[in-house]
Amino acid sequence: MLKTLLISFSLKNTYRVNTILYSLKQVPLVKRLLPDTIYSERAFKIAANILSGIWEMISVFLGKFLYFLFLISVPESLYRTAGRAELFLHLFLFLTIIGAYMNTYLFNPTRDKYYAMILMRMDAWEYTIGDYGYSMLKTVVGFLPFTLWFGLRSGVPLPVCLLFPFSVAGVKMAAASLSLLDYEKRGTVTNENSLGKYLWILTLVLLLAAYLTPALGYTLPEPLSLGFFLLCIPLGAAGFWIIWRFPGYRAMYQELLSRQMASVSDTQQISMELSQKYISLDRNITSRKKGFEYLNELFIRRHQKILWKSVKRIAGACLVLLAGALAAVRLFPEAGRAVNRLLLTFLPYFVFIMYSINRGTGFTRALFMNCDHSLLTYPFYKKPEMVLKLFRIRLREIVKINLLPAAVLGGGLDFLLFASGGTDNVLNYVVIFVSIVCLSIFFSVHYLTIYYLLQPYNAGTEVKSATYQIVLSATYLACFFLMQLKMPTLVFGGVCILFCVGYSLVAGGLVYRLAPRTFRLRQ
Amino acid sequence: MRLVIEHLEKHFEKKEVLRDIDFTFESGRIYGLLGRNGAGKTTLFNCLNRDIRTDGGCFYLEEEGTRREVEPEDIGYVLSTPTVPEFLTAREFLKFFLDINEKSIPNPRSLDEYFDYIGILPEDRDRLLKDYSHGMKNKMQMLVNIIARPSVLLLDEPLTSLDVVASEEMKQLLRTLKEGRITVFSTHILDLALDLCDVIVLLSHGELEVVDKSNLDNGEFKEKIIAALREENQALENGGRRGETHA
Repeated sequence: MLKTLLISFSLKNTYRVNTILYSLKQVPLVKRLLPDTIYSERAFKIAANILSGIWEMISVFLGKFLYFLFLISVPESLYRTAGRAELFLHLFLFLTIIGAYMNTYLFNPTRDKYYAMILMRMDAWEYTIGDYGYSMLKTVVGFLPFTLWFGLRSGVPLPVCLLFPFSVAGVKMAAASLSLLDYEKRGTVTNENSLGKYLWILTLVLLLAAYLTPALGYTLPEPLSLGFFLLCIPLGAAGFWIIWRFPGYRAMYQELLSRQMASVSDTQQISMELSQKYISLDRNITSRKKGFEYLNELFIRRHQKILWKSVKRIAGACLVLLAGALAAVRLFPEAGRAVNRLLLTFLPYFVFIMYSINRGTGFTRALFMNCDHSLLTYPFYKKPEMVLKLFRIRLREIVKINLLPAAVLGGGLDFLLFASGGTDNVLNYVVIFVSIVCLSIFFSVHYLTIYYLLQPYNAGTEVKSATYQIVLSATYLACFFLMQLKMPTLVFGGVCILFCVGYSLVAGGLVYRLAPRTFRLRQ
Repeated sequence: MRLVIEHLEKHFEKKEVLRDIDFTFESGRIYGLLGRNGAGKTTLFNCLNRDIRTDGGCFYLEEEGTRREVEPEDIGYVLSTPTVPEFLTAREFLKFFLDINEKSIPNPRSLDEYFDYIGILPEDRDRLLKDYSHGMKNKMQMLVNIIARPSVLLLDEPLTSLDVVASEEMKQLLRTLKEGRITVFSTHILDLALDLCDVIVLLSHGELEVVDKSNLDNGEFKEKIIAALREENQALENGGRRGETHA
């Protein structure tokens, strides 16, 4: 048993160390400094082991800290209800129940389980008990400092705070054992990453119970909550007994893991199949065009599920929201004034909104998976004039597709501004509309450009370019930080329009110069 | 016509895959390219197809004494895993291909004639390519590569996953196509290479060399090829050991 545990640790650690080294090798610039033999160099191994140890520590504590901070402490400060300890117990209780079935560890199909039990044929019971026991230990250790810190701050008595971590582990074990019994009885394996409809509804109900009821002035009475947390301990013990006695881990994991992993090497196969699902089978889709226009029209029409249909849905949602806002503005003059003020200072916020509704990444992904990854192996497709011709057509399409929600949003915001009291400077209307449209064009240009310049996929449809990933994350961060910015709409809008136009021109120029060379399959 | 490769080099970081490829391929012949796993066959093809940059040397086509650059349309490259655009039907793909290449294919035959020629049945012609079997995708890929009439046809393990009938048809097709073009065929199946190819070329230690058949019978020839490939392994091991002592 101890030996199994040690082997499983070292396996998990090796996997993690190699992942760290591998990701280091993917970072541009850094990768040139690292030798090819990195996996066998002692110094690198040790460094990566230290990182891996730090990572383990972080995984034990950081998640719990954020959990308490954002899910309990922050909401707590928003409500003005009776006893703080009572509120803390109320929130913690419902969240703990959700965690019990959403974060079981036992039913999480992870790679290290697959490697250990299926590939390496380790004893499933020993492995599972060891691995699960360790997870429970981590739960208790990870929770303890924060139940103490946050609990005491909220006025929860010390003994209760000390009890909490064991209650959490207990309720997790109880929930896991129920799933095991269910498996024994009906033969269906629980997978915590694909919960059924009913569990999602339950989650929603529990979340509402956690956060909505205190807003309405109700919380669970303190003795009831305390009773629950106390009860978790014997329930956990019973659960542990069932988990310990369960004989069928090998068969259960075989089913759970093989479904999830479908063999580790086949992930690309799966991603291909996923993309191919988007291809419409409608036999009536045809095109009368010629050449690349023909190819493009068929592509767009056969992918309407992720392109036009999806933007129409987004545009529809925007309309509904705008109508709601409009109604609010008409009904409550106070809301009207607030909306008016927001519209004239919160334009930066819309950068993030435009970022989130842009279909650019979905488009380029589908382009690659279902079209370019095959056609790029044909020489005619790589001729510079062909690459550029198709780029122009695709740019036109993606801009068109994204323009629909942008126009709805831009027009709607103008209307809202007008309805909420208007503005002295008519230019505001123009700037709001134009800058929203420009942002939409900017994101379209941006995604297609980085796709053409960095072409991140290899023939096996894996993303091979770290630069591409970095650019994507940087885009996200930039948009995220712009949300914090408050600036007069006229100023920000003006800057924004100039930037979008400038960027598009530069990007177009770069594609024309570089894409014939860069738009290749990665090796 | 000849495809001349001069001192072609390609390395990945410190690993030399192609060290010094110096070879001339003649048109009208099928070359069987043999090499151990990881010898660099696909790398060589990728270099010739300009999918990856070379680190040294050059290659060009020579026609009646004049040399010219290898243009993308000179090369047809059939990969071991056939790649066809999944969202098109076979007919749409072929139409698109002919539209795009109308300048280089002046008098195309009708789409159905092409399908008849390669043996894709009428009921399959309007199905999406994503639902095609491996063998049918392969046929489609071959067809498109043949219609373009490339001067050089590179085939990377094209027959390994075909059933016996399809594979026999494909072999027959390649034989009829060899006139006027250079066909380079990489494979691990020795019998296939002996059956189909006019010249056997070994890729070993990053170099290309012809295995001379002269007056050996097939059995002896096989022995010779295997011995040559085994030697490479030994040379590599020795090289490795030398490398270690240097380090």
